[in-house]
Amino acid sequence: MTLAALEETETVAAAASPDAKSEAMLRLLTCGSVDDGKSTLIGRLLWDAAGVTDDQRAAILHASHNRAVNGERIDFSLLLDGLVAEREQGITIDIAWRYFETERRRFVIIDSPGHEQYTRNMATGASHADVAILLVDARHGVKRQTRRHAAICNLVGIKKVVLAVNKMDQIDWSEARYRAIEADFQALAESFDFTEITTIPVAALTGANVVARSAEMPWYEGPTLLDHLESVDPKAEAEDEPFRMPVQLVLRASNDFRGYAGTVTSGAIRVGDRVVDARSGLGATLRRIATMDGDQPSAKKGDAVTLVLDTDLDISRGAVLSEVKRRPVNADVIEARLVWLSEAPFDPEAGYLLRTATDLTPVTSMSVSALVDFETLASAQAHACSVNDIADCRILLGRSTALDLFRDLPLTGNFVLVSAIDGATVAGGVISWVQTGAAAVGDNVLVLDRARLAGLCADLGDSPADLAEFERRAQEVAILLRSAGVPVLIETDQ
Amino acid sequence: MTALTSHLKLLEAESIHIFREAAAQFRTPVLLYSIGKDSTVLLHLARKAFWPAKPPFPLLHVDTTWKFHDMIAFRDRTAKELGLDLIVHTNHDGLARGINPFDHPPSVYTDIMKTQALRQALDAGGFDAAFGGARRDEEASRAKERVFSFRAAGHSWDPRLQRPEMWQLLNGRLGKGETVRIFPLSNWTEADVWRYITLEKLDVVPLYFAAERPVVVRDGQIIMVDDERMRLQPGEKPQMRRVRFRTLGCYPLTAAIESEASDLDSIVTETLEARVSERAGRLIDHDQAGAMEMKKREGYF
Repeated sequence: MTLAALEETETVAAAASPDAKSEAMLRLLTCGSVDDGKSTLIGRLLWDAAGVTDDQRAAILHASHNRAVNGERIDFSLLLDGLVAEREQGITIDIAWRYFETERRRFVIIDSPGHEQYTRNMATGASHADVAILLVDARHGVKRQTRRHAAICNLVGIKKVVLAVNKMDQIDWSEARYRAIEADFQALAESFDFTEITTIPVAALTGANVVARSAEMPWYEGPTLLDHLESVDPKAEAEDEPFRMPVQLVLRASNDFRGYAGTVTSGAIRVGDRVVDARSGLGATLRRIATMDGDQPSAKKGDAVTLVLDTDLDISRGAVLSEVKRRPVNADVIEARLVWLSEAPFDPEAGYLLRTATDLTPVTSMSVSALVDFETLASAQAHACSVNDIADCRILLGRSTALDLFRDLPLTGNFVLVSAIDGATVAGGVISWVQTGAAAVGDNVLVLDRARLAGLCADLGDSPADLAEFERRAQEVAILLRSAGVPVLIETDQ
Repeated sequence: MTALTSHLKLLEAESIHIFREAAAQFRTPVLLYSIGKDSTVLLHLARKAFWPAKPPFPLLHVDTTWKFHDMIAFRDRTAKELGLDLIVHTNHDGLARGINPFDHPPSVYTDIMKTQALRQALDAGGFDAAFGGARRDEEASRAKERVFSFRAAGHSWDPRLQRPEMWQLLNGRLGKGETVRIFPLSNWTEADVWRYITLEKLDVVPLYFAAERPVVVRDGQIIMVDDERMRLQPGEKPQMRRVRFRTLGCYPLTAAIESEASDLDSIVTETLEARVSERAGRLIDHDQAGAMEMKKREGYF
């Protein structure tokens, strides 16, 4: 295809032609217990969907012959298990990223390890995926590690899951067995927030229902794995999300340029809109969206931009710029669910730091309240957690930072926990509850709302212009009070 | 306004995000500039990430003295035009010992003139972070690498102990003696790089375009005779053939492909239809099993 034709295709895709290539890349995770055949399934998918070059084919055929694994067949796992140790031991240790395109779509496949000891790598892979293929071996059904992986997929925010019941050739293509596994999984998935579960019977080694339809399972009328992956809608974008841009850097250049650089994590913004810094409550008007390709009139989720404001908010890395009405909470107490990734167990005495979008906040104290039981998927009361556990916890921060709930805005509601000693990432988590808490509760903080400023703002109504004016006055008052040492919060809850 | 497709726009934004996170979290970063198409895209993205300011780090080129002459000319012109600080480092100890790609096996030559040279340059500059243009689609061990890839003291990579890297959150906090290699192009494919170069109208080394060049054929690989140092074997005589390069390195170790692709459009077409992977022309990758991983463990990119 020429480049001109390629651009043509993509323009057509935008015009919603069902046959044209979908523009968005599908990020696909494969997970499940060890030996259920993940790498083989993906190898088969790549092999049959032509994602393998001639020299790679030759190398795989050569290596398969040397190893004589799987009898006379090709060892597809060699396409993904790229580390020497993986090839020597015949296992997957870390995630592998494979990119390929079919006529209809671009894919990145993130193949994850099944061994419990490498769960941290699986969690890494899952957090980058739109859709998860969860494999089970048809002979053994859903295992403990299958449930753990499903729970991690759920925790990191994956909504669409494919349950691939593999090795159907080993159970004589039995529909009854397949239906039983499907029912098992449907039952356990009730604990999760998946919005779409598609079950497909496959045999990775023979290729049945991977790319080509299987003649052995006439009772299965659904799509093949590739068919499904080419048509699944990666992400239902939430509409009308509030604007957020965590500030990565303050960029300064030739005398008067001062811009806040960052990636928009949700919503959209236009030049002329009001923005606020949630931490200080101070606001400004967006004057320019500056990029090397020229100024832009607007920016939306995913855009990496530099915002120039009409007034200097005196903020730096770690601040979150948001729209005025729906702001993040300036919180110093959070409740969260996390997956523990470090070999060293949680230690209440150890020092931790909370890395959120662009902020790094010291943890004052942290406690575990419950652990997920991977047999029942229920939470049970607990006070300790260690590697590969999923735990509920409460974290008190040394200072407040702008946060959202993960279920509302994932990219400003997630975090990793960092060891203050060696910098290691010890856990990844999602925020389920926040409070402007410990230091700021009660009588110490003066809340400036409409009631408190009734006299000053008696002339103001509820029009957008008046609300903006209220905000401006409240900020002026806040600046004065803060300079006199009075802690202040501005509340504009309309 | 550029006319990037939404797919490329997403990749571009992700790379810019990575550059900014790194600039905010590390004290003395450096950009490893190896002059090829990936470095061209890498540098362009670095400029976008900090515009209107200049990228807050120098470029580093590890020069084995065996790079194509066109590459060196392109490197010097680029640094000058963009007004960027360029550090060129050669392992002079290796040079003095006469290490060269003809007398020494690729693994030995690469280790001394590239890997050791890189370690020397990073240590000399006190760099705690180095950006590289490696992509996960290039090679099996690179397919396993993180965006922030941590190296123990001595620059060694332990693929069994990679730091978890969840969501868009990049944790750059270093342990004692650690440094980090950063790969903003991790999720780009070869085709993405060429599409981007085309749409952004970026200048690349002319060796990527097909032209009549003096070559010899050795073990089925087409090697260009770039200067008089090329050692010809008995009976070998350079002949003119219409070739281009998919990847650029040291000229005696980088095979050309026969091609008619003399503009960007035809390169993109050729890349999309390629039946052989990109690094098939890199002789240093095939010297032994797991060659790339071995080199990476020693501190190579």
